[in-house]
Amino acid sequence: MASNRWLATGNYFTSYKEEQRIFFTSLDRTAMCLFIIVLFAWPLFFSVGNKYMLVIDNILVAIIAVMGLNLVTGFAGLISIGHAAFVGVGAYTVASLARTLGDGHIILTHCWPLVIILSGFMGAAFGAIVGLPALRLKHLYLAIATLSFQMIFQWIINFMDFFNQGQTISVSRVIWVTGKVARKEHYLFWYYAILVTIVILAFAVRNILRTKYGRCLVAVRDNDRAADAMGMHPGFTKVYAFALAGFLAGIAGALHAYLYRGVGIESFTLHHSINYLAMAIVGGLGTLSGCFMGPVAIKILDLQVERLSEWASEHLTFAANLATALKPLSFGLIIVLFLMFEPRGIANWWRIAKSYVKLWPFRY
Amino acid sequence: MKKNNMTTCMFLLVAVFMLNFPVQAHAGEVYKLGLSMAITGPTSDAGNPYSKGVADYFSFVNDTKILGDDTIDCTIRDDQYKTDVTKQNFEDFLDQGIVFYLNYSTGSTLALKKDFEEEKMPVIPASFHAGNLVDSNYIFLPIASYSAQAIGLAEYVAKNNTGPKPKVAMFVHPSAFGRGPVEDLEKAIAAGLDVEIVEVVEHGKNLDNTAMLKRLISKNVRYVISQTVQSPVATMLKDASSLGLAASTFGEEGKLTFLGCHYTGGNDLVALAGPASENYYWTTSYTITNEPSAGTTAQLELAKKYNRDEKAANSHNYANGMMVAQVATEVIKRAKAKGKKVTQESLYEEMLAMNGDNAFSPGTTVGPVTYSKTDHAGVDTLQLYVVTGGAFKSAGTPFIPEFTKK
Repeated sequence: MASNRWLATGNYFTSYKEEQRIFFTSLDRTAMCLFIIVLFAWPLFFSVGNKYMLVIDNILVAIIAVMGLNLVTGFAGLISIGHAAFVGVGAYTVASLARTLGDGHIILTHCWPLVIILSGFMGAAFGAIVGLPALRLKHLYLAIATLSFQMIFQWIINFMDFFNQGQTISVSRVIWVTGKVARKEHYLFWYYAILVTIVILAFAVRNILRTKYGRCLVAVRDNDRAADAMGMHPGFTKVYAFALAGFLAGIAGALHAYLYRGVGIESFTLHHSINYLAMAIVGGLGTLSGCFMGPVAIKILDLQVERLSEWASEHLTFAANLATALKPLSFGLIIVLFLMFEPRGIANWWRIAKSYVKLWPFRY
Repeated sequence: MKKNNMTTCMFLLVAVFMLNFPVQAHAGEVYKLGLSMAITGPTSDAGNPYSKGVADYFSFVNDTKILGDDTIDCTIRDDQYKTDVTKQNFEDFLDQGIVFYLNYSTGSTLALKKDFEEEKMPVIPASFHAGNLVDSNYIFLPIASYSAQAIGLAEYVAKNNTGPKPKVAMFVHPSAFGRGPVEDLEKAIAAGLDVEIVEVVEHGKNLDNTAMLKRLISKNVRYVISQTVQSPVATMLKDASSLGLAASTFGEEGKLTFLGCHYTGGNDLVALAGPASENYYWTTSYTITNEPSAGTTAQLELAKKYNRDEKAANSHNYANGMMVAQVATEVIKRAKAKGKKVTQESLYEEMLAMNGDNAFSPGTTVGPVTYSKTDHAGVDTLQLYVVTGGAFKSAGTPFIPEFTKK
């Protein structure tokens, strides 16, 4: 290793272990630490309305869900178009407890971190079961298998009395060390709770990716026969990829249930699955940074288009009907444009920017 | 020095007074309201005219100074029928300081019920689901619930059927919105309503109902009561017509007579189903423009004033939106008249006081709007309409279903 650990330039890896470091330079580590500190500190200095806090919380929940989707689709190359159903499994784990024990039961209100983890494991169990067809199916056929899981999930929730036939099942407010989390601090509380979860899960995923299990995912994606010949187990790899994705989705679902204080089928439909896939594509499939950038980009786009359409319907009354169609139109357009011109997603722009900085003081 | 300070203070006071006085003398209060609804996406065929009715009536209130110098600023947001977006919109409206909230779908009304309770926010949704009122103090239905409508239709069947006990099938939307009236109708039957429910069909998105219609006929069903939106009903009517199973007179033996609640009917149904809609029975609490009255004249004039097309102007959902805006305006007017500050608390009190001599007649409904601590359904009266010669016409006089209270 070169003497200056702050610059990438001039540094050489002399072992595989060095190459698998989480942070390549001290600059990377410091920048990440500062970024995390900023994420934790900004609400202390700036106050945003409940609407925007809810939007931010929503983005964070989507980040966890997209991390899961990226593991299975981006890293392992297994197309999943039923991801919202896995998120739904997590949410309905919380809802099932609420239905069985009562929405204000101590387990739900006091032991909510355990409930969230339990929901993750439920998601993982369902993920592993749905992943079983991946042993025999590939590409489009596997996509159809995951789609069928989405359909079965929706059907079960919609028609079973236990799940209130898809109507909202209420979840009570949680208790924290300061007492019951009141309405005015609800969104801020969940901002911190979800942020802590993201930090833990992101480091966990980053660590998995540098272990042999993580490298197996990529190897199976690139060529499963070659991976098999190299001594890996493609079948097992595919199933645990789905289980990992299910775990993260389950966590996201439980957080969604607590954030919205209720669970209804409307939040876990095929439309949401497509939305998660769009976030992963726009962010960049097969990259961890893409999991953060995709949800942020799509949700901010949503907000900006909403503002634009509101402005347009107010000032251009003759085009009011057209203005309301801007939102779905822009969503479709952005996906097509990314697929055409930047299939590697926003993460690729980030990679280029980082490469530029890394070579400094030399020209890029 | 003291004199100089006094002079400066006086000058500043006069300056402030002069700058502020004209503004304060002419500018009234602005009351913030919010409406989140599906202007695009599922059910937007109803939501679109509804939003226009709300927007136009509030513009009319401001333009004609119904509230004097005070004005209503109602922000209308499209939630595309997504509960998550509705919640986001509601939080935004709260940040803006709304005093009254208008909601739309059954799903979002049920999902946000706890928020309405915590915020003590009076709410009128476009959903007439009876379940909205369970464990709720702040939700007010504009008209009779879907359950009351279905019971009203079943009562009409029981009274006008000839022959043995009428066999009825229910054709409902696969959601809380559609399923809501089934249980209540069953309760009414248990209480003595003389009809028999043979089958409850939860429709999908199928484009052919042949098998279902044949099955209903084989079970001797004579009446189909629908609680869904217009397009599945239109598909069913067209199929029944092409199979020769649609009754040409009410209760014709061996044929099916179709009836439905508020969101199944209206001009859109006639446009979708064409001649197959003939003899379709539909109930709602709203007046319709095919049957001119003072209310419908006001509706058409309002639509004309704000350049709405014929379709929107004649839509019963335009009247629906207009009516909730009328109620919101009325409670603001009443709070002001009593010298109360217009807040969500005072508007809630005025909503609860809207009964007896204080009942409100907006003209767009077939009966008065009444609310109280125990009655959160606005217009209890229903009107039955039937398609005759390609247009809905009144069938009988307005009525209140008897079995809703039993």
